[in-house]
Amino acid sequence: MRGEVPYTPPRLAVALLKWAFAKDPALPAILGDLHEDFVHRSYRHGAPTARRWFWREAVGLSAGRWIYFTRRTRERFPDRRKNMNASARFQSFLQDASYALRSIRRSPGFSLFTALVVALGVGAATAVFSVVKPLILAPLPFQEPQELVWIANVPSAGGTSLSGVTSRSSNLRDFRERATSFDGLTGYNAFFDQDAFILSGDGEPERLVGAGVADDFLDVLGVQPLHGRDFTEEEGLWGGPPVIILTHGFWRSHYDADPGIVGQTLTIDDRAREVVGVLPPEFGFASFFTPGQQVDFLLPFPISDETDRSGNTLVMIGRLKPDASPERAQAELDAIIAGLQEEQPDRWGLAARITPLQEKLAGPFKPAFLLLAAAAGTLLLIVCVNVSNLLLARAPGRAREVAVRKAFGASRTRLARQLVMEMTGVALVGALLGGGVAWGVIRLVANTTAVKVPLLDQVGMDLSAFLFGTLTALLTGFLVSIIPALHVGEGTEAAVLRSESRGSTGGRGGRRLREGLVVAEVALACVLLVMGGLLARSFRAVLDVNLGFTPGNTVAWQVRPTLDFENRQELGMFILGAVDRIEQIPGIDAVGLIDALPLGRNRSWGFRVVGQPDRDDLPSLFPHLVSPGYLEAMQIHLIEGRQLTRDDQGEAPPVVLMNESGARRVFQGEAPLGGRLLLWDGREYEVVGIVEDVKHLSPEIDSGIQVYFPYLQMPNASSLDMVVRSRLPTDQAVAVVSEALRELDPGMPTREFFTLDAKVDQSVSARRFTLWILSGYGAAALLLAALGIYGVLAQSVAERAPEIGIRRALGASSSDVVGSVMGRTLLLAGFGVLSGGLASLWAGTLLASLLFGVGATDPLTYVGMGGILLAVAALAGFIPAVRAVRVRGASALQSG
Amino acid sequence: MTRLGQLEFLVLLSVLRQDEEPYASRVRQDLQENAGRTLTRGALYRTLDRLTEKGYLSWELEPSQVPERGGHPMRRLFLTENGREAVRETRDVLDVFLEGATPLLDDLG
Repeated sequence: MRGEVPYTPPRLAVALLKWAFAKDPALPAILGDLHEDFVHRSYRHGAPTARRWFWREAVGLSAGRWIYFTRRTRERFPDRRKNMNASARFQSFLQDASYALRSIRRSPGFSLFTALVVALGVGAATAVFSVVKPLILAPLPFQEPQELVWIANVPSAGGTSLSGVTSRSSNLRDFRERATSFDGLTGYNAFFDQDAFILSGDGEPERLVGAGVADDFLDVLGVQPLHGRDFTEEEGLWGGPPVIILTHGFWRSHYDADPGIVGQTLTIDDRAREVVGVLPPEFGFASFFTPGQQVDFLLPFPISDETDRSGNTLVMIGRLKPDASPERAQAELDAIIAGLQEEQPDRWGLAARITPLQEKLAGPFKPAFLLLAAAAGTLLLIVCVNVSNLLLARAPGRAREVAVRKAFGASRTRLARQLVMEMTGVALVGALLGGGVAWGVIRLVANTTAVKVPLLDQVGMDLSAFLFGTLTALLTGFLVSIIPALHVGEGTEAAVLRSESRGSTGGRGGRRLREGLVVAEVALACVLLVMGGLLARSFRAVLDVNLGFTPGNTVAWQVRPTLDFENRQELGMFILGAVDRIEQIPGIDAVGLIDALPLGRNRSWGFRVVGQPDRDDLPSLFPHLVSPGYLEAMQIHLIEGRQLTRDDQGEAPPVVLMNESGARRVFQGEAPLGGRLLLWDGREYEVVGIVEDVKHLSPEIDSGIQVYFPYLQMPNASSLDMVVRSRLPTDQAVAVVSEALRELDPGMPTREFFTLDAKVDQSVSARRFTLWILSGYGAAALLLAALGIYGVLAQSVAERAPEIGIRRALGASSSDVVGSVMGRTLLLAGFGVLSGGLASLWAGTLLASLLFGVGATDPLTYVGMGGILLAVAALAGFIPAVRAVRVRGASALQSG
Repeated sequence: MTRLGQLEFLVLLSVLRQDEEPYASRVRQDLQENAGRTLTRGALYRTLDRLTEKGYLSWELEPSQVPERGGHPMRRLFLTENGREAVRETRDVLDVFLEGATPLLDDLG
């Protein structure tokens, strides 16, 4: 491994320093001093704290440098014209700033309202920025993360199971020996959650999750343990000393963050294991590689012949040499594989496909994150349009003030600049409030465990989020002032001052402009609503998918007896005995066992159909090792043939059940019952029954070929899930089943149960996560659009009061007046909806990969969302319409 | 007489005191540990700049093999002859003044 120091300071902060000290010849030494302190702090307090410290130092030093130079230049060259100009400019800047502050204070209501609107946009944008940053924008928190690659076994035709992308230990061993493009090659056992570990000691036994990793795993990633040390080579050997490294979360929750735990031994699975280290907080193993899961400790996974026998188990990760490209490394691995295959023609599972690690982790989430970013951008744009409109609406009221200032010699540029500064001030207040909004959203996101998105635990409000929010606010302040600033001080001051009228911007041109902005606002809101609607319909469609089983009224456990058994057969008999026992409890309807429940772990096996030539078109099958009661407990319906029974065991002829679509695919229209499958154990299994398809991987993915083996004939599972269907309330069912289990085996942990409903819920979590945020943004957009429409119409009614008064005096009825205002409302909204609908047609194509069961041009969504917008617009226009009816002819004419 | 501020005086003395390792970071540490002066990094750099401009201090970049420095060099500081002279002068002034004041100070103590 290259480089002994795993920490590098934030690049942006270094760039700031380089800029601030560009002319200082001591810059390299200054950077070195800071770098050195940073590394020491990283070791002592962890990288996040050190990074914050570095930012503080960089900002402080740069600001200090700037002030120092400015002051010194002024002291040294007091008479220079340039400095006089600079000083005058500074004076006028201060004047403008104080004038802007006074304006803000003069109309606190307006300022606060505007700030709130800005807060909505800035908060939304900052929240999305913070969520997207750790996974997509920031480099992964490893040393030189761009060198890390993920090496998958080339997916088989099925492509989605873990067995299809993991590799054998022997592959890693041979690649390590032969490949020269890598500084390091390592891996972890992707099936780690099938091994349950039981922590015994004080109190009730507890089931822990330990992830097996190659001994150089942390070293290759460049992760330094927070306390203690990494695994040694000896510990990585088969039968090596039993040692573990605790994850930061487990260390905090179970040992109160006591560094003294290092060096102590824990009794796990009746075996003393020494704790040799604690992982740093920024590297929670699970949040990178298995989001949504919990990992309590790492243990060495030997890269040996023994583990090689388990087949494809390893997720392989490599660190490229600095001068090696992924393409070159790929070419090298391809050549090595060809060589190995020639030397060992019988060897199977030899393949490798290289993907940069960040791309592999972030890839699946990119479309959703891009959508969220686009939505936040759209909302921000709506905010800008809304505030611009508010400013335009206010302009006539301020026309006199502006005219007076002009008469005293203020230029239009100066007036415009004051307006920009005023809005920037308001926007900064908005940013502060928006920070609160973002903070709330981020807390909600970072603390959620229901969402399977990598690196969510790294989401937080940090300095970059703060800078992003501030910059966004400044940009917003500037954008919203552009149009009003162009109109400021239009017309001659004399005319404005003479008349008592409402000024120039209230004229026909001004109203057109404001109406145009409202149309734009409605159109943008329409796009957001349609996108949200499409996602909501997709979500509904996913929930409506026929899973093939009934998740309601079930509770499940991972069962792992602690008693000693001679062989798996005996263990199986014991567990089936437990099933019998639990089935007798009143209120329990059915109990079943399976090696892995749907929507969780998965593996796949190759197979051949007896009597058919070798077929390349068949993917691997998904094996399910089940007890006879499983189908009943899950309510998976038998379509043809018979169920599995207790008699399908040991010496009896091997039998299996298959899923309907899988059987059709395998037997190509021939009768599947009686067909035979040849498996890796060399036995032929007869198909005796056909059952409904079950969505095993996720509700959105096809079932593939599912084969149910009787557990007693194929006891090839290291742990079993037990599912109990019962009429009792969940907590009651849990209590009675736990008691029964503990009676049979007092050491068995029973606390960690889950319901299948929760499992289904988790499988749609990423989708719901996107939907939640988008719905929030859609609602905000709707509200802003309504406010915009209301504002424009209310003002238009006020301005047109004399005209309405005359019309009333000439005999126009109330309904005429209401009709005229509402007509205008619906015309504006209609234009907005129409153009928004057209824009959505384009935006929808970007969304296509996130949709399920609904087209990007789904007419129902378009019509529905358009309808909602029109209805809300009508509601917003109704209040000004009623006000218009109240206009009385005489008084309106007098005030005009 | 040379115009040296107290901080400047201490910095020059500290540079003198670091025989083998007269580096900026060591000076800061020395002032903190032995003179009770907590100095921000910016203040130290500005003082070094000022002393360099006054011609009391000179420095050169020296490559460093310390891995924690990320390949960045260190700044080796030297007192110039003018710098030594300034320290001497300040010391002499202090000596004269302290001579008269010491009995009074000790009485108070």
